[in-house]
Amino acid sequence: MKSWDDGRENREESRRRLREALAQSRSDLSRSWKIYKRSLLAMLGLFMVISVSMVAMFAEEIAVEHPYRNLQDTEDKWSIDYEPRRVAPFSEECDWHEQKITTNPNSPLFSDTVVAESDDKVGDDNRYYRDTLSVIRIIKLEDSKGYNLNTSLLSIDPSNSSILIVSSELSSNTSLYTGVWVTYEFDNEAMHHWWLPDGYDVCIFGTNDQGQDLFSKVLYGAKVSLKIGLTVATLTVIIGTIVGSISGYFGGRVDEFIMRICDIFFAIPGLILAMAFVAAMNQVTSLTIPVWLGVLIPLFVMASISSSYLSSTVPLDSIVNERTMNRLTYYRWWILAIPIVLFFLGWLPFGIGWPDLFGLSDDNTWRLIATFSIIVLAGIVTLADRRFVLDTSIEGGLERVRESFDWTNPWRYLTFRTVAVFIALALLFNFSGNEGGEIVLIKDFDRLWKVQAALIFTGWPGYSRLIRGQVLYVKEMTFVEAARSVGAPSGRIMFRHILPNAWAPLLVAFTLDIGGTILSASGLSFIGLGAEPGTAEWGILISESRRYFLDSPWLMLYPGLAIAVTVLGFNLLGDGIRDVVDPKNRR
Amino acid sequence: MTIDRTEDQVLLELRDLKKWFPIKEGMLSTVKSYVRAVDGVNLQIKRGETLGIVGESGCGKTTLGRVLLGLIPITDGSVIYDGDDIRNIPDRELRRRMQIVFQDPGGSMNPRMSVRSIVGEPLQVNRLAEGVELTQRVAELLDSVGLKREHMNRFPHEFSGGQKQRLALARSLSLDPEFILLDEPTSALDVSVQAQVLNLLEEIQEKHGLTFVFITHALNVVNHISDRVAVMYLGKIVELADTSSLFEKPAHPYTHALLSAIPEPSLEKKASERIVLSGDVPSPANPPSGCRFHTRCPIAEKGLCDVEEPQLKTIDDAGHAVACHFPLGPGMQLKMAEESEDISDDDKPSAVLL
Amino acid sequence: MKLHEFVVRRLLLLVPVMVGVAVFTFAIAHIIPGDPAAIQCGDKCGLIVDYTDDGDPITAYEANRIRLKMDDPVLEQFWRYITDLAEGDWGDSLLYHRPVVDVVKDAAPITLEMSFLALFIAYPLGIFLGIISAVRQDRMFDHVSRFFAIAFVSLPIFWFAMMLQLYLATGTEHGGICDPIFGTEGGCFPIYGRHDPSFTYPEDGYMWFYPEGGTGFHLIDSWFVTDEKLATLPAEWGSNWLLFKDTLMHLALPCTALGIASAGSLLRYMRASLLEVLHEDYVRTARAKGLSEFRVVVVHACRNALVPIVTILGFSIGGAIGGAVLTETVFAFNGMGRVAVTSLQYLDFTVIMGVTLITSVIFLLSNLIVDITYAIIDPRVRLE
Repeated sequence: MKSWDDGRENREESRRRLREALAQSRSDLSRSWKIYKRSLLAMLGLFMVISVSMVAMFAEEIAVEHPYRNLQDTEDKWSIDYEPRRVAPFSEECDWHEQKITTNPNSPLFSDTVVAESDDKVGDDNRYYRDTLSVIRIIKLEDSKGYNLNTSLLSIDPSNSSILIVSSELSSNTSLYTGVWVTYEFDNEAMHHWWLPDGYDVCIFGTNDQGQDLFSKVLYGAKVSLKIGLTVATLTVIIGTIVGSISGYFGGRVDEFIMRICDIFFAIPGLILAMAFVAAMNQVTSLTIPVWLGVLIPLFVMASISSSYLSSTVPLDSIVNERTMNRLTYYRWWILAIPIVLFFLGWLPFGIGWPDLFGLSDDNTWRLIATFSIIVLAGIVTLADRRFVLDTSIEGGLERVRESFDWTNPWRYLTFRTVAVFIALALLFNFSGNEGGEIVLIKDFDRLWKVQAALIFTGWPGYSRLIRGQVLYVKEMTFVEAARSVGAPSGRIMFRHILPNAWAPLLVAFTLDIGGTILSASGLSFIGLGAEPGTAEWGILISESRRYFLDSPWLMLYPGLAIAVTVLGFNLLGDGIRDVVDPKNRR
Repeated sequence: MTIDRTEDQVLLELRDLKKWFPIKEGMLSTVKSYVRAVDGVNLQIKRGETLGIVGESGCGKTTLGRVLLGLIPITDGSVIYDGDDIRNIPDRELRRRMQIVFQDPGGSMNPRMSVRSIVGEPLQVNRLAEGVELTQRVAELLDSVGLKREHMNRFPHEFSGGQKQRLALARSLSLDPEFILLDEPTSALDVSVQAQVLNLLEEIQEKHGLTFVFITHALNVVNHISDRVAVMYLGKIVELADTSSLFEKPAHPYTHALLSAIPEPSLEKKASERIVLSGDVPSPANPPSGCRFHTRCPIAEKGLCDVEEPQLKTIDDAGHAVACHFPLGPGMQLKMAEESEDISDDDKPSAVLL
Repeated sequence: MKLHEFVVRRLLLLVPVMVGVAVFTFAIAHIIPGDPAAIQCGDKCGLIVDYTDDGDPITAYEANRIRLKMDDPVLEQFWRYITDLAEGDWGDSLLYHRPVVDVVKDAAPITLEMSFLALFIAYPLGIFLGIISAVRQDRMFDHVSRFFAIAFVSLPIFWFAMMLQLYLATGTEHGGICDPIFGTEGGCFPIYGRHDPSFTYPEDGYMWFYPEGGTGFHLIDSWFVTDEKLATLPAEWGSNWLLFKDTLMHLALPCTALGIASAGSLLRYMRASLLEVLHEDYVRTARAKGLSEFRVVVVHACRNALVPIVTILGFSIGGAIGGAVLTETVFAFNGMGRVAVTSLQYLDFTVIMGVTLITSVIFLLSNLIVDITYAIIDPRVRLE
């Protein structure tokens, strides 16, 4: 075994190279920034995107929790039996509350002191309480028919500002036995923004029909929208890139097949496709994949890794010839895959499951043993392959394995491959023991997730086509042929040569797509196929404002502006990036 | 250049090599015809020699190079490398033993990779060196092509054309191959830089005992570097000879025409000796029958040249081979340009050949 | 490739795509939760409607399943679906209780009329502004128009539509910015609907005065309403011109909402395209010849800059049909978008299939026409 000192030189070398790479990327970035800075619009876009992101990040801190409702709480909803209180922006009425007071002394609910409390119940149906409010002044008093009464009929308890004292004059007036309505201004502590001057307790964007603070809702909406935009754009880029690179790199039938599928997707207008998809997922409550698929995916990764791993351990002069090599690769898949699949399905031809066979009831032990068996099995197959089929010594293979885990290695040696093997094993371990036949990917597949899934589903063909074109273009360049002529494998050509030279338009499309996704998601919410009603989501807010939009236009104005500003920001940002990556502007 | 004639051993042999590219046409993209880029080439390349392949653009010389390296699949015939068919040699071994230098030095290097990665890539993918060792080897390679080791962390765009070609050469040398295909390595360079690169090539060949195939359209370059020259026309070799023999007594009218087009900075040769070929090069998708050159040949005879295809035949002891029914003997002169114009029914002769 | 070969080839390529779309709609309809057999009989599913030969009772639900042939193998069902489609039998809507073909036939012209008119406005506007923007590159106008172009692309259509309603369709007393030009109520444009609500949609739900076999495009149909029918209408709409004007006024706001994004993106495309052309040699030559700048730009540059713009038309049609879903919801147009939304809400799967299919057919056909146009303008494409 090598000692730590043996690797010093290599480590220093790789540190040096890392430093150089960092310096290079720093100078690259500073040059890009210089180009980006030139455009005022691009700077504006960056500013907008940063602001919206900050708002989303610190939404809890900036927003106020209105006492009437916990904004995040969409499940615990109560019917509102009083007149909706839509309050205009910057109106004093934000701090007003209307409460019914029983004035009939014969009623069991009657008391001469009334606690000022919010309409919102906290707790479940049977056991709940209401927040008490601290009253500052009584604004008006009305009887049940809406006629104004003298406000002095009701007074605030000097010792406790939450208690209103019903005067005898009021309780003795039989004409008011149906009850009176009092409107008072209360100390709306929760409505006071910490960043506003004292005593400036106003609802900045007004309130909605349920008395909720629109400003807070819009802030929380930024969280939701950015989350949707980023998730969808990232996942579509990943899927699209994988499919598109496969299509472009391999060409031929594969390409033809993938492109025809994309054509079908393009043939249906995106929004309608997304709508149909959301509807189709209507009753899906959690996203699961069957165990066999979940096991096959890491297996697939492992098998492909092991084959390339193996071929790189074989010394040059020992390769028999290419055809044997290909056949071997092919067999290896089966050699590896079949017993493992059987193993993990706990199924044998004779109907005896492995767990039964070994009497393993403990899930965890069984998983552990299974995982280790896989490693050992893979090792045995690999080495046997080398020893008996290729007829070479197994030393080289063992050496490579040792090398990957050797701590004298520079960072470069701990390859992607080693990491990938670990990930695959971890996945195997995690998934293998899952009972019930299904692996849960997303537990609570709510409507927001459905919207995201639909947008990913409709979005990937665009990226595929984009990246395919890029790959086709870069593939024809001489340096790819040069790489092939020195024997670089497909994976290296793809990841080191083609993709690094093809990502520029992808970055632009990604940025623009974040904006586009936010637009589509809010559109879906608007027509009722998106987020749950009551959620702090911009599309839903606008959709809910439709009933009142002539009387209370602010309800739709601010969420709409929020969408427009966010999307505009991303579009300007994308435009700026387009200028930066445009080869015309570089050098 | 000194060639060890005693070691007259064949390294590479092409046997009736063909590369046809299908042309898809019509509504169902059916293959209607083929572009016959390389159409039956027989050639032997000896160990340690430099073989020049010349021809106009589109004559198939670049395709020939790709096919003999095994970079694109062979349609028919075979390439024998050191006694084995290249289809039976494992890809990685083949790549290690045969290398290529591309025409466009800038385009053949990934713009996002440093010189160290570019030159070291062959070593890396073949797992021959890593880490410090790799750096060391790249430094040596850079030294050997006349670049400094400080250049290692630069990027391709920071180099001049000549330097880039040196880098490309360093990359192809990194696996210590036996054979390098030079695909017009100097055509993208200035004349002054060309000479430097050519001298470097000769130097390296001597040092490493390499075999070169030098593909070019520039005859003066071939004259400078090659031991033997093969002249290609429409996917076939029309003449193959030692350089001196070819330049002194070209036997094929096409070669003759090519040679006459070399600009000579001397007053002795008269301008009228320049042979201007009429017409365009026929399409390789539909090559003429018989001798492929007969449509443009000033001495073609009806009934023979357009019917029977001439085979490549040796015409003297030195191995001078030509594929022509009427090979020009030593000292023979081709008819003048004016006359050749009359033969053609094309009223607009293409002015210059090269 | 000759032009007719190109056209035939493109038509042939459409076939697999159409089959794919059909597979897709079929799959969607099968995945969508909700049992059509159960939906059709509603709360009477348990009723016994018939007896088998053996005397076993058949409930209404089972009868529906048998009638809809839902127990057949999936492939057989798919084959029947395809053949039925080809024969024009697209099934019956569960919600409207009408054949899907009729529902679509009523809805499609509404969407198309709106989309086409929107693009009809957006294209000249976008191209015109794009030209000015390119000619005055990097001047104030350019910056401002580019900003607005991006801003318009970034607007949520439905929100913009509601803003238009708020400011242009309500009178000044309600916060709008203009008062009605012709009527007395509302703003300068009608707030929603295709026609004035007082005479559209009488009891049976059809516009009785429009000709039976009309195009469905009311901008056209309004000129073919017969005099005797006009005579029955109130004086404000008592002539072909007034009917036409009414339709147009109702279309103004939806088309603006729908077209503004197209106009924005078009401006950007046109600007980029023209800038590229303006740097070409032949434009420089034209300038050098001493032609006026107007001639150089309009005659020489624009003609070539417009060629790539044609390709965008195909995409804008798709975008407009997608956007119509939102605009129609806001403006209460009973076009395909609204039909799609309603049918999705009620899981009326035959209509969903029909609408998806018809929108893709429209989209594909318009793209085909665009491609052919492009091939005529620029013969190089045919070689591809």
